[in-house]
This record gives sequence, C-alpha cells and structure tokens, in this order.
Amino acid sequence: MNIVVVVRQVPDLIEPLEIVPTGDALDLDTASFILNESDDHALEQALLLKEAGGGSVTVVALDFGDVDNTLYTAVAKGADRIVKIACDGDTPPAARDSAAVYAEAIKPLEVELVLVGVQAHDELDGGLSPFLAAALELPYVGVIRGVKAGDASGTITACKEFPGAVMARMSVKLPAVLGILGADQPPRYVPVSRIRGAMKTAQFEESAATLAAGELLLSVSRLYPPAPATRAEMLSGSEEEIAGRIAEILAEKGLVK
Amino acid sequence: MPSARPIMWNVPHWAEIVMYLMIPLVLAVFTAGVVWRVRKWFIGRSEPGDEGFVKTLLNAVHPRRLVEWFPPALFQSRLSPDVFSLIMHWAIFWGMVVLAIGTALATVDQDFTNLLLDKQILSGGYYHLFELALDAFGVVLIVGLGMAAYRRYLVRPKRLETTRKGISLWDGFPFLTILLLIAITGFVLEGLRIAEGFHVEAQVAAADGPEAKQLAIERMGLRERFRVGQERWDVELDRIAAGGPVFPAAAWAPVGYGLAELFAPLPTASIRLLHLAVWWLHALLAFGLIASIPFTKAFHLISSPVNMLLRERKTPPGRLPVVMESGVSTVRDYTWRQLLQADACTWCGKCQEVCPGFNSGFPLSPRDLVQAVDSLLLRTPIKSNGQTASLHDSLIKPEELWACCACRACEDVCPVFVEQPRLIIDLRRHLVDQGQVDEGLQDALMNFQRYGNSFGQSPRKRPAWTKPLEFQLKDARKEEVEYLWFVGDYASYDQRVQDVTRTVARVFHCLGVDVGILYEKEQNAGNDVRRIGEEGLFSMLVEKNAKELAGAKFRKLLTTDPHTFNTLKNEYETNGGPHPSPLPEGEGTHGNGPLPDGEGTPVLHYTELLDELLGQGILRIERPLSFTVTYHDPCYLGRFNGIYEPPRRVLRALGLRLIEMPRHGRNSFCCGAGGGRIWMKDTPGIEERPAESRVREALALPGVECLAVACPKDLVMFQDAVKTVGAEERLRVADIGQLVYETMGISLEKSTEVGEPIA
Repeated sequence: MNIVVVVRQVPDLIEPLEIVPTGDALDLDTASFILNESDDHALEQALLLKEAGGGSVTVVALDFGDVDNTLYTAVAKGADRIVKIACDGDTPPAARDSAAVYAEAIKPLEVELVLVGVQAHDELDGGLSPFLAAALELPYVGVIRGVKAGDASGTITACKEFPGAVMARMSVKLPAVLGILGADQPPRYVPVSRIRGAMKTAQFEESAATLAAGELLLSVSRLYPPAPATRAEMLSGSEEEIAGRIAEILAEKGLVK
Repeated sequence: MPSARPIMWNVPHWAEIVMYLMIPLVLAVFTAGVVWRVRKWFIGRSEPGDEGFVKTLLNAVHPRRLVEWFPPALFQSRLSPDVFSLIMHWAIFWGMVVLAIGTALATVDQDFTNLLLDKQILSGGYYHLFELALDAFGVVLIVGLGMAAYRRYLVRPKRLETTRKGISLWDGFPFLTILLLIAITGFVLEGLRIAEGFHVEAQVAAADGPEAKQLAIERMGLRERFRVGQERWDVELDRIAAGGPVFPAAAWAPVGYGLAELFAPLPTASIRLLHLAVWWLHALLAFGLIASIPFTKAFHLISSPVNMLLRERKTPPGRLPVVMESGVSTVRDYTWRQLLQADACTWCGKCQEVCPGFNSGFPLSPRDLVQAVDSLLLRTPIKSNGQTASLHDSLIKPEELWACCACRACEDVCPVFVEQPRLIIDLRRHLVDQGQVDEGLQDALMNFQRYGNSFGQSPRKRPAWTKPLEFQLKDARKEEVEYLWFVGDYASYDQRVQDVTRTVARVFHCLGVDVGILYEKEQNAGNDVRRIGEEGLFSMLVEKNAKELAGAKFRKLLTTDPHTFNTLKNEYETNGGPHPSPLPEGEGTHGNGPLPDGEGTPVLHYTELLDELLGQGILRIERPLSFTVTYHDPCYLGRFNGIYEPPRRVLRALGLRLIEMPRHGRNSFCCGAGGGRIWMKDTPGIEERPAESRVREALALPGVECLAVACPKDLVMFQDAVKTVGAEERLRVADIGQLVYETMGISLEKSTEVGEPIA
C-alpha cells in the first residue's frame, strides 16, 4: 500500500510562549518547533501498516521549523521517501491554505491512503485532515485509533473513537484520508545513530507545489495567556480542624446540607 | 637400602599396557575438547586494538602480570570475603592439584627413572613425605568435597538456586562425585596393598628358618610383585625374609594403614582381586575425569584462570567500551574476551547475591544471564552457517536487561572477573537500536534528544536554580574560572535537589572557591544514557558539552553528581569530539600552564574538593555537629572510581560520629537509580525497592539520625524511601554539602565576607 503521511511543525509548549507586541500572534522567533503529536502517531500507524502488509511510506511536510530533523527521524524509523514543500515567510499557513498545497503535493504521488494527525494545537480555522480530504476529493474518517488491513482488497479497517469511549470498527474503501488520533502502538523510539545515518543517506524530494494565500476567513484580534486560576487552599492544623474546614467548604459549595 | 615406592603392585603386565594405551586416547579427547571450547571464544569479535589471542597470551605471560594472577587464579583470593567458599575451594583445588602432581611424579618415577636408570626418586625420606602428603591432601580433598556437598545439597543458599531451565543445582554433581570416588578409590587401593603386605609378613613370620621364609616369599609371588631391577629386587626380598615390613613406608600413610587393618581379615586372593578391580576403577575414573573436563562445569579449571590472565586491564571501570554501537544480538557480536568471560563463569551466584535488581524481586540474575550467554555459546556452531540464534526474547528477556542498575556490584564481587554490566549493556544497545525500549525510558531518551535533560524541561530553565542565590555565579563561558562546575540534571532541575545545589553553591562562595557554570549550555553529561545503551545519543551529548567546554576557560571540572563525575572523568576524552580542554595553550594564567597532553582535565567530586579545603585549613568548622551519621557510598563514586575516604574524612571533620552500614565501601548497595532505572517504572512483583532496603539498613544502626549522601539521585531516592518506609521522623537524609554548610556558622544573608581565594 502506498501511504502518504503529512507531518506538521508546531510550537513546543515546553518553552515559555511569548506574544508579539501587537498582541495578536505568537512570537514564533522565540518559540522552538516540534513534530505535532498526532502526526507522530499518523507516521507510526503508516509504518505499522507497511510492516504488516508491505508498500511504501512517503512523508510530506512544509519546509518550516525543525522539519529536516523530523523528516530524517521519519526515514530512520522506516519511511521510504521524504518530500518538502517550500514555505516562505515566518508563519505557517492556516489549515485550509495548507490543505491546498499538501493536496497539490500529494496528488502526483499516486496515493492509496493519506494519514494525518486529527489535531494540532496551532490550528485556528479547523482541522487540517478534513480540509485535505476535501482538497483531494477523497473520503474521510477522523478521530481514528488504529488501522488494520481490510478484509476485502482495496479497503482498510479503521477504529474510530466516539465520545464516551465508544469505538466503531469500520471498513474504508481506498483511496481515503484518515485523521489519526492514536496509532495501534505508541510512536517508536529511534536511536540517534540511526537518525544520523539517515542524515547522511536520505535525500529530500522538493515538491513543485506552491503555497497560495487564500481568502482570509478569520483573524485573531487578541492572544493572551489565561488568567491565573484561583489557587488551591492548603488546609493545616489538627485533624479535627481540617475535618471541620472541609465540612464548611462542602456546605459553602452547597454539596452537603 | 632405603624403601622405595612399589611400582605397579599387583597389576598384571597386560593391564599396564592397556592402561598406557588409553592415555593418548584420553589426552586426545581432552585436547580436542579444549580446542573446541577455545575456538568457541573466537567466534566473537576482535576488540579495537586487539593483538590477537597468541600475542595477548604472550604479553600476559609477564612476571608482573603473573604475580598479579597468582592470588586470584591459584588461591582464589577474590573469594576471601566468604571464608567457607574460600576454604572449600582451597581444599578441592589444592587436594586435586597435589594428588595430580603426586600421580605425575609416580609416573616419572616408574617410567623414566626406574625403567631407564634403575633408580627411584620416591625412595627414602622423599617417599615418606610423598606418602604423608598424598594421604593428607586426599583427606583435604574429601573434606572440601564434603563442604561443597553440604552447602549445595543441604544448606542450598539462594545464590546456588535457579528457576531458569537448563541450569540446575545438580550440574556440578557428576564432577564432585567423580572427584570423591577418585579420592576414595585411591585410599582403598592403598589400604588393600598394605593389607596384602600384612599377609606376606604373617606368612614369612610363620615360616621356620631362612629357606622356609624364602619359600613363603616365593609362594606369595613377591618376586613378580616388585617390578624393579635385579639388584634392588634382591635387597627387597632379603629384607622381607629377614622379617622386615613389605611396605616400610606404610606408617607414613595413616589413612591407607588404617584401611589396611580393616581389610586384613580378607583372604589374600580376595584382596588381590579387589585391588585389581579398584585399580581399574580408579584409573578409569581419573581418565574419565580428564577427558570430560572440557565438556562439563569443570572446564572453569581452565577458562577461569585463562580469563584472569587475559583480561583487559587498561580500561578503567568507569569507561564503558564500545565495540558495536548497535549492540549485541547473537553471541558472535560479543568480543572474544566477553565470550571467554561467559565461559569462565563458575555459576557461584556471588553476583546475584549483591545485585540490587535481584534482591528487590526484579526479573534479573546476573549469574543466570551470564549462564544463558554461555549455554547459547556452547550450542552455537563454530563455523557460521548464516544463521545464529538470537540472545534476545526467549533466552534473555528485555525486562531482565532493563532491571540492571549498572551499579557494578556484580562485577566487583565476581571471583573470576566477569564484567556482567558490559554484557548487559551490549544487549541493551541492541534493544535500543531496534527501538525496543522501556516506556519510561523512551520518554527520558526523547527528552535527552530534544532538550538535553531527562526532565523534559526547557534548556533555558537549567540555570533557574541559581536565581534565589544571594550572589551571581560566574558564567564560565564568559569569564575564566578555576573550577567549572558541571551541575548535572538532578541538581539543576529537580526541585527537591535545587535547595541542596544552592547550599553547595553558598559553601563554595563562602570559601572563595573560584567557580563558574555553563548556564543553559550545559546538557546532561550522558553517563546513564550510555549505560542505557543509547550510544549515539551519548555521543551527541558529549559533542554538545565538549563544544561548550572547549569554549570555556577553566582549569578543573567539578561536580556534585557522581554519574556526571564518572563520565567526565573516564569517558569524555575517548569520544572523538573535542577534548574538554582546559585553558588553551599559552593562556595558562594560574602559573602551571596548560596541562600536558594525555593527562586530560582534572575532574573533582565536590567531596574531594571539600576534603582538600579542609586539609588546607580553608574550610573551618565553626560549629561542629555532634550527632551520629552513616554514609552511603554512591556506586559511581566508590566502586567505579575508588573514592571512599574523602567524604568520610569530611563527615568526621564536621564532628559527626560516623558508623558504617554493613554494606559499605566496595560492597555499597545501589539506591536503585543507576543504569537508567530512575526513569523506569517498577515492574510488578517487586518485593522491596533497593532504596528502601538501604534505608532499613541505615535505620538498623544504633543511634543513627542521619543518612549522609553525596549524590543528587541518592538524595531523591532516599528521601522517597524514608517516606515509604515511614521513617521520616527517625532518619534525616542529608547531602554532605548541607552538613558542611551547617557547621560553617555563616548565614549568607547577613554575611558578605568571602574567604581567601584559592591559589
């Protein structure tokens, strides 16, 4: 099966996020970038499918942030091809615009299955995965936890998670786009020596797809950190005092009468 | 004419010829077996800078190395902490050696000197001594075997038990039994021979007159029984005819003599028949033993001393060799030295006895692991047929490998110098290469890759611990310092340790120690990453740190963390990247100039520095402490680097009464954090965490109020353990730096006085 995985760079939340002086965007110069977590799962799922049933895995990414390292890591994990799409400017495009350029890059790849993370924490205008399916004019299922080869040829079996942890197993006709929440197993560890090996041998393919700025559908008017929540009250004193205070709080909240 | 050893007494000529014909056969089987085992070692890889087996062997046969080799090889000196084992081994080994030498001497006496020269070495005083020595060492051997049987089959210590298939407590049984039977049949033979002598003497004594006596001698077939030259023959017969003893040396063989009195009532013919039968049995047992040595546990008679002779001794314990970065998946991936080690293992279980993993109920026994390697080695064909069985999965499970704390207790205690941690880490390297890592470990490794620390925190937050300090720590990247303090992850990021790190900083500041740090540019030094088996990540961390160190101006490296200490001291200069160089050439401003090549940068643990400062009178104890402490030796400070005394001297100087835990110094018991364990979850079935065991050990000491530590990881581990065993009120876990600060009589917030700078 010919699988394409789309991977995105998102700001690493480990670093303190800063907001630009105009107050309507993140200061990406001070941020560092990391592979989007559910995209990492999409890659893992693609590798698992390849290992189980053969085929190839092509990883497509916008040339942004720490993308080289992410793509080399993908090769070290077992991806066959890595494709970079040129991305000018300091800010990654919104989901809908990027869906168009990803679709343009993916179309020539004769893809049977496209896997992409179902969410990313910098998405403003909606999830990339349904936009991508629409741009590719392919069927779409999202919030997928695990994909297996299908019972009939030309299909795969995907597990979709619904609220309340209800799972549905569905047969999906290929080609299709899946929005991955989690792979069948957590993303594998790849040792540094293999990543370094990939850096020496792997070749990027540059996609001819170009990013076109679409119509501006939404704009951020203010970006701000959440106000600090009320601090926890630490109870101290003797056991009786603490018990008394707990009883008072419960009564104050109307939980006991 | 002095009495001489009787030669082939009661053995017919045909039997003698058959016996001699068997010798080449036995030696052929023995030699073929030894060659087979030795060739097995060399299915392993050669080591970097390997000179080959022959050259290594020739180099090893050097007087100085031999002197080093004698105690462990010939006197099993590494068993000395276990007196029972030591005596048992001496008894069996030396019993066997003396009896073997005796047999060899008797063979020379008979086949060389008697046949060719018509003389005997074993005559007169020598013969008496020979008889006495062989009887005595025969008894020694039997006592040793009895001790072995008593312990193996009656006492049955845990270290000699196993749950692994294919290894059994009875593995040593055939060897021990054959040895015992050889010793017993030897004594029985002697007894029967002397008993026959009694019969001859009685017959001669009963005969009346010289002719009758000669007749008695003839009747007893005595002429045929002394296989010596004509002249000595006549002398012997005359002596016996004159009423002398048949075996004048019998009294020097007390065991044989005693048995002879027991056998004497038997008829002469029975004695003779029995003697011949037992003679054959004795010979066949001995031949069987020799031929079987290469194929049984007894091979350690050869493999263990060879391992002791050929072991690599240039690499310090703290430097982990790397032959295959991607690790070991089959026995062919190990080096020949490692395979020799596995073959040298005697399965004594000393390693298992001290293993923190095993003792806590983790699925790890270093002994079983080494035995598993050896058993697969013996099943692996010497010539590769393209497929070699994997050591992983069914044979050695990942959870065994991940249970190792890399504390080196096993290696340090091993009587035959097996390096178990290295065998384990090579196997871990393969798992890491295949991406099969423990879940907790994966998070830690990803964090190291991305952030250079295991906490998954921003590198920018690394120096955050310095903010509450009342002074500014020097930035070693910008200004020159005497000591570059490599702080380490736990000391920098862990909130429980940060306070202690600040206290140590205050101590340095008050004593005027010229110290600086790398701020956010420091990354984890990589000691534990390397022991997890992530060699590529280790190299990456070394490169990053070495680059920063090369850009900094300092004379010595200083750290509070023994793990960091170990890798900086032993491993940094060997890793390709820029050597963490001190002041560049020509810029030595401290009077001694740049360090000579090859000596590297001095690396100090802070307890060493405090000890130095005490000695120089710079650290003065203003308010001595007066309670009782015990001290936990960190593995990477003690066993890996031999630093035991400086922390103890500091503690005593503080006025503290130091009492030792039963497991201290070289026998210190790991807190359970090493080898990457600190990032892994406890496996189910765990009985008592190593740190809890250690805290209970400290609590059992009379009057101990404080467990002093000299390692940030120990502080965390023991503070947790004190809580889980419910001893928070009784035992304080304190870093040596904290205790020092308490004695200095300084409250930094009030005092701005700074001591004399260190020249």
